[in-house]
Amino acid sequence: MKYIKDHVMFLFPMLAILIGIESFLVFGRMSKDYEKTLRSEYTMLVLAKLPMKLSEFKKIDQHISSIESIDKESMVKEMAQGMRGVSADEIIKDLPYFYTLHFDKYLDNKTIEQSKKKLAASSSITRVENFGKSHNSSYNLFLFIKVILWTFVGFMTFTSLFLVIKQMEVWQLAHREQMQVMEIFGASTMLRSGVLFKRAIIDAIAATVITSMMFMFLRYVWVKKSGIATLISKSNLLFEYKDVLILGLISIIIVAVAVAVVVAGNKESRL
Amino acid sequence: MANIITASHLTLGYSGSEADIIKNANFRIKKGDFVFITGPSGSGKSTLLRSLYGQLKPRSGNLVVGGHDMTNISRRKLQTLRRHFGIIFQDYKLINEWSVAKNVVLPLIIAGYGLDLQEVQAKKLLKHVKLSEHADSLPLELSGGEQQRIGIARALAKNPTIILADEPTGNLDEYSSNVIWDLMENANDQLDATVVVVTHRIPNIFNIPYRHFIIENKGVYEVH
Repeated sequence: MKYIKDHVMFLFPMLAILIGIESFLVFGRMSKDYEKTLRSEYTMLVLAKLPMKLSEFKKIDQHISSIESIDKESMVKEMAQGMRGVSADEIIKDLPYFYTLHFDKYLDNKTIEQSKKKLAASSSITRVENFGKSHNSSYNLFLFIKVILWTFVGFMTFTSLFLVIKQMEVWQLAHREQMQVMEIFGASTMLRSGVLFKRAIIDAIAATVITSMMFMFLRYVWVKKSGIATLISKSNLLFEYKDVLILGLISIIIVAVAVAVVVAGNKESRL
Repeated sequence: MANIITASHLTLGYSGSEADIIKNANFRIKKGDFVFITGPSGSGKSTLLRSLYGQLKPRSGNLVVGGHDMTNISRRKLQTLRRHFGIIFQDYKLINEWSVAKNVVLPLIIAGYGLDLQEVQAKKLLKHVKLSEHADSLPLELSGGEQQRIGIARALAKNPTIILADEPTGNLDEYSSNVIWDLMENANDQLDATVVVVTHRIPNIFNIPYRHFIIENKGVYEVH
């Protein structure tokens, strides 16, 4: 019973930290995906006096990731058909060059306005127009939720880390005599703290496995049963196999930090 | 023979108390000596022993053990120095969660010896202290005398240059005490280890030459 209690006292805060971190990863992936959707729905049209290359646009604004040139010749020729006395070639000659611009990330209204100003200020560009839905308020709400989640995860991690350290202090107390004996016989700090590390690492691995299984369950079982179409199509965002490695690595770092804190606070003081 | 322990004007005391336990002590112990330190309860015998393995820092004066000044020794050097010691305690200080065999090879584990060598040495040491059949037992399953024999085997595990023993027979009956003294004699005689034993009473029958220090009125004096 004591053995189980000992491990549960360590396992629970570790689970809290890892679930928090995994939620953080999931939300990060979701926000990237959301930004991608917003980005694809957004375009900016630029009218230029002369033909321009991507590198020239990038010099004006680094966020421009790609350009599409609009084929004005076929457009004008189509329009000029059936119009008497109109020379398509002359119209084409007088028309500016049209470009659709795409950006490397979702930009808020303020940044879009700044981009527009920069482009308009260029001597090669005659006009700049932007088309697309304004997602600013929903995007801001999304960012707000993200900040709230990060704050919550950060607070939970911090509190749980304290619990992990407290539990390790309890273990250190239980193994105090053993560590003292080893110290008298000249054992290094690393070797003495090995007993704490061993105990903690088992629980850290267990916490990693439990957290990974929980999120795997969400991805492969719960989402399908939920019937929520948006979630079903994006279920891959809920768990990725590389998350197991990330969680494992983080749990090892937490254990190492906790052991270091406890051992550093209990160094032998020569009387 | 060269001196392995030298104390000059050595004063010892515990932090948090201004009272000196040992004051202005001067003594030298040569390599290979067998030394008994006696004195009444509370005279500072164990305190003196603690200073020899670096758990207590001298308050003033000099204490040199194995060529190291114990006043200014660094943590790392102290760790290395302790690996050349065999230390025996009145309360055995065994690791109760470990098997007898693992306890015995603790100094080898600390020194980073391989498992094969540990196993060979454990067998040899347990045979030496006549505890071979208890290799897999836990220390608390054995009697006090047997536990102290594990303590001695542990102290001998890495052929120490100095063996420090704090009341090694304090909790034992006469028979067990005699076994312990025999083992200590052998360690000094066969391994050529310097042995310093703190005890209430020197055993009646002791078969090898020894030196005797007595602690009185905070001073350390040799009895000739």
